[in-house]
Amino acid sequence: MSTLLVWVGVVLSLLLAAWAGWHTLRNRPVILRQLIAGAVVEAYLLVQLVVVLVHPAGGGAASGLFWIYVGTQLFVLPLAATWAFAERTRWSSVVLLAGALVVAFLQLRLLQVWGQA
Amino acid sequence: MRPTSQGPGRALVSVYGVLALAACARGGFQVTTKFHEAPLSYSLALFAGVVYVVATFALATNRRWLAWPAVLTEMAGVLVVGTLSFVAPGLFRLHASVWSWFGVEYLLVPLVLPFLGVSWLRRSGRAAVDEHAPGGAPDEAASDETAPGLGPTG
Repeated sequence: MSTLLVWVGVVLSLLLAAWAGWHTLRNRPVILRQLIAGAVVEAYLLVQLVVVLVHPAGGGAASGLFWIYVGTQLFVLPLAATWAFAERTRWSSVVLLAGALVVAFLQLRLLQVWGQA
Repeated sequence: MRPTSQGPGRALVSVYGVLALAACARGGFQVTTKFHEAPLSYSLALFAGVVYVVATFALATNRRWLAWPAVLTEMAGVLVVGTLSFVAPGLFRLHASVWSWFGVEYLLVPLVLPFLGVSWLRRSGRAAVDEHAPGGAPDEAASDETAPGLGPTG
């Protein structure tokens, strides 16, 4: 599991979190452009999955726990985006903020659980 | 009556959903891979996950009658298990759940969440008294397409 592969994901999801946090502070709901940004992060997660599948660099092997995390993180942003966009107040931005932070956290956990039995 | 799934409730439901996911994944993994090591602890971990799922579902679909017991069970769970993990640490040292040590592994969110839940259920429920509309909130009819429990409570 390449460290760089994970850190890019962390940065991308934190950028999305920062944008959602900004909207929360400004009392604004989630906008379409944020959903597109979320889709970009999601696309990156898929790329990451493919890279790990075809080229599991960095030694060690993917454990069952690792695949649970990889699978789980793919659902977070689509669910958060769907749930957020139906609400047209600042609270939708909180939903997206939470979702993006969870993805960042799951990305970091990927490094920890890599190679764990 | 103000729907539990809107406004601040929108964000609350998403946090409940995250914990439901975390607790179920953790409990499910423990139960399926090493249940024999600590049947009680791992059953408890999975039970915690189920409670969060029920709470998330109830709050998201405006089922107050279900949300109240779920949130109160959750509150009792985190307080009892959290206290036990300090009083009798041997019980949970190797077999932790989301409620162990009041959920410190999850930034204490499991400890704070039930209180936010109760506070939100009270606040959103009180809105009905303020409005005093005999028919409930007709403008929210679109959001409770399938809620059979909403009628008597709302």
